[in-house]
Amino acid sequence: MAEATWRDYVKNKPKKPKPLSGLRVLEVCTIVFGPSGPSWLAEMGAEAIKVEIPPLGDLERDLSCSGFRFKEQSPLFLHDNINKYYLGLDLHKPEGQEIFCQLAAKADIIENNLRPGVMERFNVDYRKIEKINPGIIYLEKNGFGNWGPYAEENRPSNDGASQAFSGIAWMSTFPGQTPVKQMIYLSDMYGALLAEVAVLSALRHRDRTGKGQYIEISQTESIMRTMSWVWPYLDITGKNPPPAGNRDVSVCPADTFCCADGSLVSLAAAAPQEFAGLCAAMGRPELARDQRFADHLTRLQEENATALLEIIAAWAAQRSPREIEALAREHGFAASRVRDAAQVMADQHIRQRGFMTQVDDTMYGTYLDHEFPVMMSATPPQKKWAARAVGFDNEFLMKNLLNKSEEELKALYETGALGKWADRPGRRPPPDWDGSSDLILSRDQTPAQAERGGK
Amino acid sequence: MSADRPKWAEWADWVREKDDPRSAGPKLEALEGLVVLDLSSQSYAGAYCSSMLSEFGAEVIRVEPPQGDFLRTCTPYGLVHQGEGLNYLVEGRNKYHVTLDLNQPEGREVLQSLAAQADVLLETFPVGTMDAWGLGYEDLKKTNPGLIFASITAHGQFGPQANDPMPDYDNVAQAKSGIQYATGAMLPPEHDPGTCPWAVSTKASPWIAWCSAGTFMATGILAALHWRHRTGQGQALDVATTEAYMRLDNYTHIWFQGGGHVTERVGGLDNALWLYCFAPTSDGGVFLGGLRLEMWQAFCDMMGKWDEWGVGDWDSLSPFLNQEAQLKYFPEVAKFTSRHTSGELERMAVEYSRSGRLAPITTVIAPILSPQEAMLDPNWNERGIFTPTQDPVYGRVVAVQAQHKMTETPIRTKWTCRPVGYDNAFIYRKYLGYGPERLNRLLQDGVL
Repeated sequence: MAEATWRDYVKNKPKKPKPLSGLRVLEVCTIVFGPSGPSWLAEMGAEAIKVEIPPLGDLERDLSCSGFRFKEQSPLFLHDNINKYYLGLDLHKPEGQEIFCQLAAKADIIENNLRPGVMERFNVDYRKIEKINPGIIYLEKNGFGNWGPYAEENRPSNDGASQAFSGIAWMSTFPGQTPVKQMIYLSDMYGALLAEVAVLSALRHRDRTGKGQYIEISQTESIMRTMSWVWPYLDITGKNPPPAGNRDVSVCPADTFCCADGSLVSLAAAAPQEFAGLCAAMGRPELARDQRFADHLTRLQEENATALLEIIAAWAAQRSPREIEALAREHGFAASRVRDAAQVMADQHIRQRGFMTQVDDTMYGTYLDHEFPVMMSATPPQKKWAARAVGFDNEFLMKNLLNKSEEELKALYETGALGKWADRPGRRPPPDWDGSSDLILSRDQTPAQAERGGK
Repeated sequence: MSADRPKWAEWADWVREKDDPRSAGPKLEALEGLVVLDLSSQSYAGAYCSSMLSEFGAEVIRVEPPQGDFLRTCTPYGLVHQGEGLNYLVEGRNKYHVTLDLNQPEGREVLQSLAAQADVLLETFPVGTMDAWGLGYEDLKKTNPGLIFASITAHGQFGPQANDPMPDYDNVAQAKSGIQYATGAMLPPEHDPGTCPWAVSTKASPWIAWCSAGTFMATGILAALHWRHRTGQGQALDVATTEAYMRLDNYTHIWFQGGGHVTERVGGLDNALWLYCFAPTSDGGVFLGGLRLEMWQAFCDMMGKWDEWGVGDWDSLSPFLNQEAQLKYFPEVAKFTSRHTSGELERMAVEYSRSGRLAPITTVIAPILSPQEAMLDPNWNERGIFTPTQDPVYGRVVAVQAQHKMTETPIRTKWTCRPVGYDNAFIYRKYLGYGPERLNRLLQDGVL
């Protein structure tokens, strides 16, 4: 039974293996679109090494929520960079490029989201790495891919531009209004996710054949893939589908309604028994037999849908979200208030499932963040530690992976191939860091350690 | 090719030669040989998930009830193409379609036979349904310990609300995620909600929560497949649609914990970035982007505000990274953009990169395109996204394809959909050895 499968799932996470353990991922990634993918792999147990150009590193470290930072760190950076090791490596320098190649020889997956041709300029593009490591799975993510008119123009892109270019913003609005931007970085996050489907498919191919490959992903092409019916609708009717606000035009009824207290509730009741349940809940069982609403395809017709949604709106306007949710449970349709951040954070269901999980981190303390949203009974993904400063794990990585000597390390720092954080918020460790905690195999004895009698 | 191609043009040509979707046909497929049973029921998340796998060459067997899946009727404005709803018309891609009535004991027996030969089983029934049929994970793994059993539901397989009877819908998941609440137009000053019904929390269109759930599940299935390759061990996977979509939100939960702040709607603005907004134009709207101070300064220059605002003296973007400053400057930005067409502004940014005071620095200006404009854009057509598929049954169908570009194992769209039960004869012959006599009897008994 499902109950037997999932009993004590959250409690037993630390006792179970991770599905991608033993895989090494090298990322040269910035701002949301880049680092999210390697984070997901790392939550599934891969060893992700975040390569950043010192001393500033990933620009995402700069982003705040209207000025708010979490212990100096960008909340966005904290969210998108999980379970990683941090290497400050300057790829502009030949010595840095050489280190990158040495690491690439031992890596399984490389991901970057730089403009086309940049990795080639750094002498670490797919064609070079593939000669060192033919099994490498090499992912490049950007706005327009690596070829085609926009790529050749070197046209810059970002999430907002992609929402605009793809048509999704135009669709996600009310008729006649200037489109609004999604609050989330939808094209970045979804593009990053879709890219991992390609990476993990390539892994299956490699598991069977030993062969790696090169993958390119455009954030706009990715978000276009989600727009399902929009494209055949255009092709068949020759017309733009009209924006429809909160109404789901493929499901009827499905819309967001205003309740008596002015708050919003979303509701859907499309299948026959669900629709009959909604009619009963509204005290209007006869509507289920009304010929305008007889079956789903009939209800979806514009005139019928409009009439039905007006009836529901009038009913909802006299109710509270709580009443409507209770009626939905009782009568078997779906409804929820449009929840704000406080309501989401108060949701005990997602906490007990371990989706909203408590991170217990030496540097950033305890806080709640999202677990990878696929629960895996034998190999549960798990958030283990939070973000680190630029170059924080240099010594560990150089010693453990490449067995660099003191002299070699010193030379790498002197040429600037290796480097650490700038003394700026988000780049450096949080202000209450004790100068030693979490450093792995560090040789530098900090004053704090000396005081405690050294290691 | 023109003489002014970029320095890295040779690289671009090499990539294109290797991954242009037009040359995908004879290449290997990453998931060839993988057998997936898709039992998903009135769930686009399920259909989308199995599409992710069938595009890579998995043999996906769609198991529908004899009358077909309800999802086939979920289509915009009730529009159908040769009897098929438009969502399913593009999401039946590369799949084999069989019918089976799981409410009958014989139907369940057939399913057990298929599940014993499958690598992945995907289902979206209300929690407990598969168990009640004797088809739950604990039942099926007895005969097939390597099976990956994937469930997508509204609330997940466990937790205090797992048995909540509400069905899984995209718009309701969006409402629960916290994202819809914080997206939408701001109420203009001195207006009330009654006169501006559009100034409310607004969901993303269409079915993005379902797509997120389906795509996350695809990554979970593939990771579980890698684990099985190493150990032979299968497992059960659980995705809740609301959680999957919520995972795409980068900060509202952290902002709330650290600052007690509830993220509210900011219309076309952004909580974390400036210059980074949607602005109205005389013929629609544009996205304006400039994450560096110089790019914002460039835009101020284009607006003719260089001297008036003392733009040249600014030395940091920080003063603009809060809502107060944005609400002060945005009306000026909007006043300016409203006087121009989107095209004029786009050209202005290009011109500025050549001859502006801060050239080559300029602002990213992208028109907010309608889907029709996006579909006609030669860039996407050259990259093969909208290449029509010639479906053996439905004829010409435009379904977005080739969204991943890969050198060795590219995805491809072989067909886009099949009618209900279209592949009964083939699949039941291939896996169960059923011939015409047996099939006819099962059809007559309503099992298929």
